[in-house]
Amino acid sequence: MSAVIDRSWRDPELLAKALPAVLLQTTCFLAPLLMTIALTFQRTRDFQLNWTWSLYTWTDVFTKPHYWTILGHTLFMAILCVALCLAIAFPVAYALATRLRSFQNHVKVLITFAFLTDATLKTFGWVLFLDKNGAANYLAQGLGFEGELVNILFTDWATMLGMVYNLLAFAIFTIYLSIDEIDRSLILAAYDAGASKFRAFWEVTLPLARPGIWAGAVLIFLLAVGVFLEPKVLGGGKSPMSAELIRQTFETRVNWPLGAALTMVLMTVAVFVVLLFNRVYSLKRHMGPA
Amino acid sequence: MSKSWYSDLPKYYQRQIAAMGLDDAGMSRRRMLKAAGAAAGVAAVSGLSFGKPARAATSMSYMCWEGYNDPRIIDPFNQVNDTDIAFDLIVDSPGGFAKLQAGASREVDLVSSDMPWITRMGPAGIAMELNPDDYADVYASFYDQFKPPFEPLLHDGKTIGVATRWGWVGPCVNTDMTDPDEWKSYDPVFDAKNKDKVCVMDWGDWPILPMALHAGIDPYQELDAAQLEEIRKVLRAMFKNTRTLVADLTQAQKGLLDGSLVGCIGAGSYLTSAVRKQGHKNIVGLVPDPKNGLKQGIIWVEATAILKETDQPELAQKLLKHVVSKESGHILSLLDTTCNVVTNKAVEELYTQEEKDILQVDYMWHAWDNSQMHRIAPNIDEMLAIWQEELANAG
Repeated sequence: MSAVIDRSWRDPELLAKALPAVLLQTTCFLAPLLMTIALTFQRTRDFQLNWTWSLYTWTDVFTKPHYWTILGHTLFMAILCVALCLAIAFPVAYALATRLRSFQNHVKVLITFAFLTDATLKTFGWVLFLDKNGAANYLAQGLGFEGELVNILFTDWATMLGMVYNLLAFAIFTIYLSIDEIDRSLILAAYDAGASKFRAFWEVTLPLARPGIWAGAVLIFLLAVGVFLEPKVLGGGKSPMSAELIRQTFETRVNWPLGAALTMVLMTVAVFVVLLFNRVYSLKRHMGPA
Repeated sequence: MSKSWYSDLPKYYQRQIAAMGLDDAGMSRRRMLKAAGAAAGVAAVSGLSFGKPARAATSMSYMCWEGYNDPRIIDPFNQVNDTDIAFDLIVDSPGGFAKLQAGASREVDLVSSDMPWITRMGPAGIAMELNPDDYADVYASFYDQFKPPFEPLLHDGKTIGVATRWGWVGPCVNTDMTDPDEWKSYDPVFDAKNKDKVCVMDWGDWPILPMALHAGIDPYQELDAAQLEEIRKVLRAMFKNTRTLVADLTQAQKGLLDGSLVGCIGAGSYLTSAVRKQGHKNIVGLVPDPKNGLKQGIIWVEATAILKETDQPELAQKLLKHVVSKESGHILSLLDTTCNVVTNKAVEELYTQEEKDILQVDYMWHAWDNSQMHRIAPNIDEMLAIWQEELANAG
């Protein structure tokens, strides 16, 4: 064990072993990132990129409030999506790991199939379901409700529904894996010590499932800030999120420096939020129940 | 003909050598990329049979909108010319232009895109200047409106491309749900009774330009701050009544058909014709009447250009002529995804009455007479920025 601890970045063998990963990261992540940053300091003229170093794009980004309005909306939607996904996924994962053990393989296969189905297909499927003349209203009318009971298509509610639906599986599986790894004897020990079912859950199961909850939250947050299909197809495009703004800027406006700058802003803010999550998580871990 | 190291080999192997760029012409970057593309294509099609030879003597690269790649158009050309064409399908014209500028012009031979972007390829040094005399046989059967000198396709007096497909932009409505006479202006877009019943196409400048025209502003002229502010106001008002912005044709078509949408803005014959082909003749693309002398419709034209760096100019010219021919034009105008009239008048002879009805042939010159010719608007970036701002505030 101590031999492993002693090894450091000065160890030539370790450096050699790390080289492929370092090269991969450098060529596939760092270099494009640096190019993107460099692009933000250029200008466009007549839809053509001019390599003239300038702060024009950044001035534009920091003086136009609508970019920040869209970013704020994106963060709000992403955080709400994380909260809803965790709220739905935890009971599902818990039941899967503890109560439905005999059915869990079937349920996992069903979730996997839904997860592997193309998101575009699923999203357009929701359009057909939620449409004014769609299946939801047809069912509602069959049950005796009059008019268009379901009228959420092309609203933020529909966007959120699509986001939660498309991302839920990430939370279910990460939390499930975490709960499934918990040693049952620890919970039995809590009962032996006189803990109620709720207290055993609160003080044993939940803290031990926290890595899965955390992993699911980060995964969903990072995917949610980048969604563009759901706001466009289910949200009706009237309430765009950052990814759509970036797409419009690159493709429609052919303004690559601005698109690159908006990408950098989104990445920076997303990383900042994840680091903030991480900080809160670390604090909780240190201050949590012994 | 001088003897080369491969000239004694059977013709079949000579073709493979040429396809790999190992013939006398040698290997250039362009040829290498094409050979690699062809090899990848063959490998993908033939699975594990890597030893399978290339199928054609020559390969070409064609950047175009969907439809130009229809096998019924391309296969006869390939057979006659023993060529294999790789396609780079455009999803938006500015994006295609940007891609060419970023270096794709070194690999692409021919481009079919929106006319303003084809014209722009002239000053950008991407497209070849065409000699109209070389295309006299093609122009002979064109509508007079598109015969040279066709001003929108000229740069410094030189022809940059040949017009192929066209149509008009105006309100698209379901005549069972709304009176077409109401749409002789864009006023219904702002009418409170149509709240949440208006669809706006999320297609870059296409929905902005009609709204500018409605505001009494010609977007194809240089605009001042006051005019841009007027455009902002009209876009803001439009968003208030908008049910949805869609980039997908089928969503708009479905909404018009089921009546959840009363009208679509930013599209036109491009949207309505495919639905009309399926028998829904109640879906029409209209052009509003001129307002204070300013024509309210917009004519879009697609054109085809040969790129300067093509290594096969003669073959590219042949392909261009083939694309605008009578037979190809008939296919191009009646695709499953979209149906549009073409510039070759001779195609009209092939249309049945039903096909003419689908394409609104009886209406097309009325649309032409009441429309502006689409070009690149000088202030388009400001207008797109305004669009983004107003959209952010509308949510």
